[in-house]
Amino acid sequence: MKKVKVLVLRTAGTNCDYETQSAFELCGATVERVHINTLIEKKDKIFEYDILAFPGGFSYGDDIASGKILSNEIKNKLGDEVKKYALSGRPIIGICNGFQVLVKVGLLPSPELFKQISTLSYNDSDKFECRWVYLKVEKKIKNESNCIWTRNLPDIVSLPVAHGEGKFIPGNEKFLDELNKNNQIVLRYSLRDGSEPEYPLAPNGSVEQIAGICNGKGNIFGLMPHPERYVFTLQHPAKEGFDSKYGWGKVIFKNAVDFV
Amino acid sequence: MKCTSKCKTIRILSLCDEQLIRLSRKNVLSLSLEEMKVIQSYFKKLKRDPTDIEIETIAQTWSEHCKHKTLTGIIEYTEEESGKKTKKTYNNLLKETVFKASVELNKPWCLSVFKDNAGIIEFDSENGVAFKVETHNHPSALEPYGGSATGIGGVIRDILGVGLGAKPLANTDVFCFGDPDMEVSKVPEGVHHPKRIMRGVVSGVRDYGNRMGIPTVNGAICFDDGYMSNPLVYCGTMGIIPKNKIDKKVESGDLVLVVGGKTGRDGIHGATFSSIQLDKESDVSAVQIGNPIIEKKVLDTMLKARDLNLYRAVTDCGAGGLSSAIGELGEKTGAVVYLDKVPLKYDGLCPWEIWISEAQERMVFAVPPKNIDKVIEIFEEEDVEAVCIGEFTDDKKLTLVYDNDVIASMDMEFLHNGVPKPTRRAFYKVKKEKVQKPVKMNSFEISNSLISLLADLNVCSKEWIVRQYDHEVQGQTVIKPLQGCNIEVSGPGDAAVIFPYTVIKDTKKCIVLSNGLNPQYGKKNPYKMAASAIEESLRNAVAVGADIRKMAILDNFCWGSPNDLEVLGSLVRATKACYDMSKAFEVPFISGKDSLHNEYSINEKKYSIPPVLLISAIGVIENVENTVTMPFKKGGNKVFVLGVTRNELGGSVFSKVKNIEDGVVPGVYPRESKDMMEKIYSAISENLIEACHDCSEGGIAVAVSEMAFSANKGVKIDIDAIKIYSCLEEEFRSDNSEMTPAEILFSESNGRFIIEIKPDNEEKFKKILDGSVFSEIGYIRDDKKVIFESRKNNIRVQQSSEFLLNSWRNTINW
Amino acid sequence: MFEIEILTKKDFKDSRGERVLSDICGLGVTNVTKAEYSQLYVVDGDINLSETEMIASELLVDKVTESYIIRKCCAEYCSEVILKSSDAKENDRLNSNFSVIEVWYKKGVTDTVSESVVKAVEDLGIVKEIKVKTGYKYYLYGKISRTILLNTIATKLLANTLIQECKVHCLADKKA
Repeated sequence: MKKVKVLVLRTAGTNCDYETQSAFELCGATVERVHINTLIEKKDKIFEYDILAFPGGFSYGDDIASGKILSNEIKNKLGDEVKKYALSGRPIIGICNGFQVLVKVGLLPSPELFKQISTLSYNDSDKFECRWVYLKVEKKIKNESNCIWTRNLPDIVSLPVAHGEGKFIPGNEKFLDELNKNNQIVLRYSLRDGSEPEYPLAPNGSVEQIAGICNGKGNIFGLMPHPERYVFTLQHPAKEGFDSKYGWGKVIFKNAVDFV
Repeated sequence: MKCTSKCKTIRILSLCDEQLIRLSRKNVLSLSLEEMKVIQSYFKKLKRDPTDIEIETIAQTWSEHCKHKTLTGIIEYTEEESGKKTKKTYNNLLKETVFKASVELNKPWCLSVFKDNAGIIEFDSENGVAFKVETHNHPSALEPYGGSATGIGGVIRDILGVGLGAKPLANTDVFCFGDPDMEVSKVPEGVHHPKRIMRGVVSGVRDYGNRMGIPTVNGAICFDDGYMSNPLVYCGTMGIIPKNKIDKKVESGDLVLVVGGKTGRDGIHGATFSSIQLDKESDVSAVQIGNPIIEKKVLDTMLKARDLNLYRAVTDCGAGGLSSAIGELGEKTGAVVYLDKVPLKYDGLCPWEIWISEAQERMVFAVPPKNIDKVIEIFEEEDVEAVCIGEFTDDKKLTLVYDNDVIASMDMEFLHNGVPKPTRRAFYKVKKEKVQKPVKMNSFEISNSLISLLADLNVCSKEWIVRQYDHEVQGQTVIKPLQGCNIEVSGPGDAAVIFPYTVIKDTKKCIVLSNGLNPQYGKKNPYKMAASAIEESLRNAVAVGADIRKMAILDNFCWGSPNDLEVLGSLVRATKACYDMSKAFEVPFISGKDSLHNEYSINEKKYSIPPVLLISAIGVIENVENTVTMPFKKGGNKVFVLGVTRNELGGSVFSKVKNIEDGVVPGVYPRESKDMMEKIYSAISENLIEACHDCSEGGIAVAVSEMAFSANKGVKIDIDAIKIYSCLEEEFRSDNSEMTPAEILFSESNGRFIIEIKPDNEEKFKKILDGSVFSEIGYIRDDKKVIFESRKNNIRVQQSSEFLLNSWRNTINW
Repeated sequence: MFEIEILTKKDFKDSRGERVLSDICGLGVTNVTKAEYSQLYVVDGDINLSETEMIASELLVDKVTESYIIRKCCAEYCSEVILKSSDAKENDRLNSNFSVIEVWYKKGVTDTVSESVVKAVEDLGIVKEIKVKTGYKYYLYGKISRTILLNTIATKLLANTLIQECKVHCLADKKA
């Protein structure tokens, strides 16, 4: 069987690239961390890979706004290639800063549109916060969403968040309705029992507690929490997980590798 | 030697003593008269006056910050105890105490001790772990955000610059501040309010550490009005390095490559400035702002060049800038540097400013000429500036060139070994400690005291700080700074554990980081403060599963002026404790740093800080599965206290809250403690311990409460079952009638742990603990009631764990 | 030389402004009723208004939550003349009664954001030699004396005069 190849895109200020690499490797993939300068020099290189990952970090220091300078660079220097890649149906994931980039480039919520129509803004608390939260993966959404990344997750899963700008705001009501209608809102912050949380378990004030969304086709997934930081039970605050060894974050990466 | 309009000659050959002193002061050189005279006679031999850049170079190289003149100088020490005076002369205090212990212990797994930018111990057969802790106090007082950010940036560069470069895995931070609730009118003019300092410092560490992608995982914070004008900011970094990358050796002919940030006027005189006490007119150019993304890019690229073996040596530009970095690398060979090649932020810098600027994010490499193109290519591929500015020679001289003119030419030998050893005098009077009048309290008063202790600034939750740091980036923080049995609640972890699985594939080993400090003890007894800090750091690590046989420690002294006999005397006392404890616990020191002159004068009145010794500990744990957190796990399990409770309330949080003057400061009993720590390691390795928590500030009452509320559980404790020594006599009594329940609950005796055991494991556990002092003191309850009871004294304290949690959580919640 | 100001749109939460307001109360200043925060960029170099507008709209502003205003900027002093703005409705509040504190880095102090903006402008396709300076602007509503603005709010909270300088515009002054 051919090894699945993953590209972890990095640039100045990317800092979750190693653990993202490890998470994919744990699921049997071959991973390369590639600097954006290399990719800009050789644009077609992107198509050598089966999966594209935008890891977390502070790209270019998150100056101006989080992910802004990197998304500007991608849009202007790699726009055509990235769009083509996205429309080809290959899996793309954006975690934390990567999610901010996907949204600001316009790959989410719709790569067809390829325009920024929603945003991730400053947390209501106006500060960076690192903590574990509960996320709801609604049964109905799990069954009906096209999202290839969130299959096989339990209804409530816990993951760590670590961000200062994670408040998801859709551009207008219509977009929000569409996201809901198409089952694109795959992860929402919640309480352990699935009910609506308040701060701090609602860490940033996101509209409708949105923590992660996918595109209509389900191959592109962006989320603020960090699944790559929960691939082993050891990483969980209370050492929970499955098969007495793995953390639930691993399932997300496994889904994409299996899909390919 | 030629002087241009940009480089002046400084006439010193003909100056008298008074003029020499004036010159040193005017140019912020921080050189003593004796030192100025040595310089004068050196240039008399050369038959010429020095240039400004030569004088500045000497001042940087000889600065307290770079040379640690006080602690490596001669100290004539007098100690007085009960009217009897004893004298001792130290020729080199550090070498004869802290360092001596490490030499005598001679642990084979210590790979680099006190010689490089950080200490290194063995991780596994192929790798070592490096650890360094630095202070950045004075810059943080002036510009809290920039000061702490460049503090953390600097210590990260120490790790990048150890050996051929280590990969940073975690940061630590420890702060001492004034009371953040201080009335605005009580803050002296020219001083930022403690709350502003604290917020600025925390933001600085947050923004730099988070952007570097290094989790800040361990720390401590201490509030005392003594730090209002002079806050203390300690930053540490731990990194991992292949064993074959630990040695560096510059060879003649290697090129000098400066990499990273450009040079500006920032931080001129930082090194000499740190030995001057703060006053209202402190030199403003000593303030710097960092750019973490440049440093991150340097990190990403330099490790690539390291793994291709493209350079022979590296060091960071810290205090003293290029002057110190190149001076250090070229000490054995000599170097010539073309200062006009250094990339600048803006025009208008004089050569001496370029040479000593402390602009951030710069590293200096020694690169063999054949590799230079490849190295520069690696840096430039990721937009990192790398410029060759000179070469290492074989003439053992430092030569500086600007616009084709030689503007400095001095012997390396003189620069590095020419500094005269100062002689200082020190005095310490041993004060007798007295047990306080028995603290008699009823249940209600004990209950209220417990609440005030949990809410006290020095005990309360530091969640506001911890959560602003991305303490989980890299995904390797398996024992976290805040620990809870679920996501909703948390308590204070004793130590952090990093499991470096993304760097070392398939490893089972992990690294533990902890710290100990207690300036309150130091106010009464600096020896016990130092000893307690060492024990506390080890205890914290042991509580999560560390093996003290695989641990090392770092010392960081922050003291007042060494010109004050008694201040220096207390420092000597503390270093004595360092030697004694290091030897007794068989835990070596591997690195250290000191920051003296932490004083501030307003209206002629001098304020000195309460002295602090921070001990940072690092250890390697064999199996990451065998680590333990502090929250209680299961109702019905048994609670034990390990170790002896003594009547030791001196310097405790309880005596501060209750205004109790007397009290014996907690002592350290290494024989008991070391044995206990080794036994706990065995028990944890056999999976016999469900939860473990170190007993320190606030004593048993606070420790037990924290374990309960972080688990959302209750507990019932029988005070009468706690084993005590009534006084300091070596006679053990099981009868605890000589300590009151309040004293037992709040005493801060060292050497104690609270643990949770499954009833099934009790027998095996007791077997391991055989011969040590321990007792079963209660059990865990599912009903969330936290109860402390003494039938003998008719005491029953009861609180809900939720209420205790909120008391602990709400003090710092901005 | 142009000045670009980035403001939070009215319908969105201005978290920074809210925090500044609570910090001002914490200083014991009680007569500030509301605080608003905006980010300032001065772009200097051989660029024209339409390029500046592109920088503002494509790079500096978040289209969903923020609006921008471009002003002509003379050497040291920023005039009040608005050349362009993304959302005229957002300009209303600029006619309200407020005092203003602007905070800028002093010359020679590292301004990390400005370096990033220069890179990003190049990525946008505007390949010209430009210089960027960044600052913050705080709109403070309520009756506040110049002394309080300058000596308390500006120097004790918003700026460290060691590395930053403040420009203060006091409503009370104007009325007097």
